[in-house]
Amino acid sequence: MYKTVQVFVPNSVKLKTTKEMKCKTLHKDLIFYLDNELPIEKRKEIERHLETCADCRYFYSFLQAEMQIIGKEKNPEPSPFFFTRLSARMDERPDFRQQSLWNRVAQPAFFSLILIAGIYGGLRLGSHASSGAIHQTSSSSVQLLNDFESEPIESFLLDE
Amino acid sequence: MNEPELIKGIQQGDHRSFQTLVETYQRKIVNTCLGIVHNTADAEDLAQDVFLEIFRTAGNFRGEARLSTWLYRIATNRSLNHIRNKKRKGFFQSLEETFTGGKNRNSEISENGNDQPDHRITDQQRSDFLHRAIDHLPEKQRVAFTLNKYEELPYQQIAEIMEISLASVESLIHRAKKNLQEQLYECYRKKCV
Repeated sequence: MYKTVQVFVPNSVKLKTTKEMKCKTLHKDLIFYLDNELPIEKRKEIERHLETCADCRYFYSFLQAEMQIIGKEKNPEPSPFFFTRLSARMDERPDFRQQSLWNRVAQPAFFSLILIAGIYGGLRLGSHASSGAIHQTSSSSVQLLNDFESEPIESFLLDE
Repeated sequence: MNEPELIKGIQQGDHRSFQTLVETYQRKIVNTCLGIVHNTADAEDLAQDVFLEIFRTAGNFRGEARLSTWLYRIATNRSLNHIRNKKRKGFFQSLEETFTGGKNRNSEISENGNDQPDHRITDQQRSDFLHRAIDHLPEKQRVAFTLNKYEELPYQQIAEIMEISLASVESLIHRAKKNLQEQLYECYRKKCV
């Protein structure tokens, strides 16, 4: 069987324990208190506690100062050269270069025309060249035949 | 120039429309990136990347969401990627320092900090601790908190940007604040500032 033992707890310790508990609970809500997100009763409770508890008051000031840092550093002054630098980066890359109407329509059409003209000219030149080659071949063969007739090898050898 | 006209202009490669877009949203996008990366130069570079991406992919924009929602979404994603890459680089750098006996970056920062006047040290330290506390938050909480605190966006728009429900945004921001307060309380207890 268990023996019942009575333990004497002094009032000061009891008070300290409840105060610590309250501090811990309030610490969890301080950030919401700062942001005005608590119901009015809870807000009043926190305000009452802050009046009596120095440690919580210090932490509250610390938290407030930390959160104010966000306000100080946000919305920095916009850089005056932001768009200039952005444009320079776009110019560096060919896929971002500005394409005018000339670039987009007239330039490909112009080069296509040159290509077609080139092909046509090439074909014409080719057809002329082939007919000329046939003529040249026949004339040279005639010339050879004539040479052969004028100076036959066999007769030359026989003469020797 | 209204939003559909602006989009149409950018889709057609019109640089004037693009300039209008940049001038309208530059501050918001830099501010959002700054809230996540905590460095003005990095935030500006990231904001430029955001605008370049917008110009390049404007053809894909179907107008189902607001233009600002699209911009914020790209800005937060790019900022988170930047932090991930930085962490990866930092890991390899610390490995390198371990093997080569290089100087620790934190010690460099504190050495530089000693050159500053006293009141600036306090402000810088406060700022550093707040940034460290924000960086300790999980990614989703960090994004929701940044959009709410730095850009002061309503929960509904944060939900659209993050593609989650309104209740999820409320829960994320509530948890982010609780976590942040815990971190700051730890700092207060250890008297780090």
